[in-house]
Amino acid sequence: MDPLLYVFDLIVFIGIFSIVSLSLNLEFGFAGLANFGKVAFFLIGAYTYALLSQVGVPFYLCLVAGALISAIFGLVISLPALRLREDYLAIAILAFGEILRLIVKSEDWLAGGDWGVTVSPAISLVGASHRVDALINIALVYLCLFICFLVVQLLTNSPYGRVVRAIREDEVAAEALGKDKSKYKAQALMLGSAMTGIAGGLYAQYLQCVLPGMFMPMITFTVWIMVLLGGPANNWGALLGACLVEIFDRGTNIAKDYLTLPIDPSNLQYILFGALIIVVLLYRPQGLLKETQVRTKAMEMVRRGRSAVRNKGS
Amino acid sequence: MINWAQVFFNSAITGSLYLIGAVGLTLTYGLSRFPNFAHAEFITLGAYIGYLVAEQLGLGLPSALVVAFSVTGIVGVLCYCGILQPLARGGASIIHLMVASIALGFIFRHSIGALWTWKPLYFTAAWSAFDIGPLRISGLWVGLIFAALVLSLAMHFLLMNTKIGKAIRASASNPELALASGINVDRVVWITWFIGAGLAAVAGIFRGADTQIWPMTGWDIILPIFAVAILGGIGNFYGSIVAAFIIGLAENIGVVGLIALGFSTTYRIGIAFLILIITLIVRPQGLAMLFRRA
Repeated sequence: MDPLLYVFDLIVFIGIFSIVSLSLNLEFGFAGLANFGKVAFFLIGAYTYALLSQVGVPFYLCLVAGALISAIFGLVISLPALRLREDYLAIAILAFGEILRLIVKSEDWLAGGDWGVTVSPAISLVGASHRVDALINIALVYLCLFICFLVVQLLTNSPYGRVVRAIREDEVAAEALGKDKSKYKAQALMLGSAMTGIAGGLYAQYLQCVLPGMFMPMITFTVWIMVLLGGPANNWGALLGACLVEIFDRGTNIAKDYLTLPIDPSNLQYILFGALIIVVLLYRPQGLLKETQVRTKAMEMVRRGRSAVRNKGS
Repeated sequence: MINWAQVFFNSAITGSLYLIGAVGLTLTYGLSRFPNFAHAEFITLGAYIGYLVAEQLGLGLPSALVVAFSVTGIVGVLCYCGILQPLARGGASIIHLMVASIALGFIFRHSIGALWTWKPLYFTAAWSAFDIGPLRISGLWVGLIFAALVLSLAMHFLLMNTKIGKAIRASASNPELALASGINVDRVVWITWFIGAGLAAVAGIFRGADTQIWPMTGWDIILPIFAVAILGGIGNFYGSIVAAFIIGLAENIGVVGLIALGFSTTYRIGIAFLILIITLIVRPQGLAMLFRRA
């Protein structure tokens, strides 16, 4: 295989999963929601894209529609689910994802059931080589990633982001200050789902097919590893986590061809993933990159005041 | 013509399997206060150890049950003592504990995949099937229902009449008070994890003997088992008996309904998921109020 194409492929995957990991970072890192069904929203985005592009809708509308439908599902789920304890929420969303996969698997008329359907690529130039196709995909994916990153970064560093963090830290205190915790959580879940929907659409058009087997719960947990490893509540951490996990994933795939190990590398890969998560949780629960402190004028004045006092004292 | 006797008998089989699988989950969930997703892999591990003893070593099913129960029980205790308890002590949130248990599950599932490959395995023992009236019955199913009955009676005796059972109930309802009353709460938790993981292994052997054994054996039925634990009320053994048979009935009657309405029977497993979600939304405490003593 063309080595350059392999690198391009890796870059596209990093981009797509960075979007998902950013969205989980918004939901889990900032809002403290245990979304164990990320793959459900990924699936919604992918299938929306596949079905709409079949009837000739232009690709950008397909992506937007995927984001909207995903967001609507996120909202519908959040309405009852946000009253639940965090462990119940996790189990309920996990079950939702499995039900969704069952539906697309058994309803053959919808999208080909088990065999799935083929999806046309978003932008296909006549006579373009594989490399050019891959470059176009990189451009498209990283444009979406850039927009998502900008939105999340601005949002989480705004007063809105501080309210969301405050609710994560202490629901009762935030409610006492008049912040409606359910509203903020629902909004975080909606926005996160919309971003995951876009990533799902990009994934479908890049792989040019959708199958129920592409949306196993494994996807959800890969994204959780990315966020926990990179650093929850740090958007750069989410990107770093996505890079590291995807590179590790490819690395073990390459190792399969060149090394003879006593155990099958695809099994070894997941064993190492599991061990990695446990080590991170035990020894560095804040992840590789720590959450940055909130910076506001008031905080800076406090800090300046403190250093002034210290200078006077010396 | 629907054979209702068979539907009810099948419900009892499904319910028995879910009950044996769910007891450990509900007790450890109630005591340690987080859902252990690696419970699925305890089921799988039990099935494989059972296969190893019964088929590869040729020692028969009864010894397979005993060995799988003890080995998986010890594995369960080691998981808790080695990883989950230190995490909880270090102040990990419930979300972190859930993720850690999923990660543990990965390690087990893929280690099993590496040891036995991902090809499905089958118990070769032939189960004599016989008809009683309109019912088709096999020895395995009778054994499964019998095992669930024995389990229910034994657990009832354990929880109500023994010191350790009372300690389990006390630690689940108020750990601080239990500690202050001189109960060694740590030991109680370890014993519960041992019993819970061991029973999961028993469920795994029955599931494996009824269908097939592969590294996803446990994951395939973990959500119905969660549904039983939650519908029954977390930590509530008597609630899970009722819940297991409600879900068994719902699944088997649901299949009849699905066929009548022209839907695919792959939705069978979705019925339990739906009950799970509805219970969580409408009545997250489950049936626990029906059994206040437990």
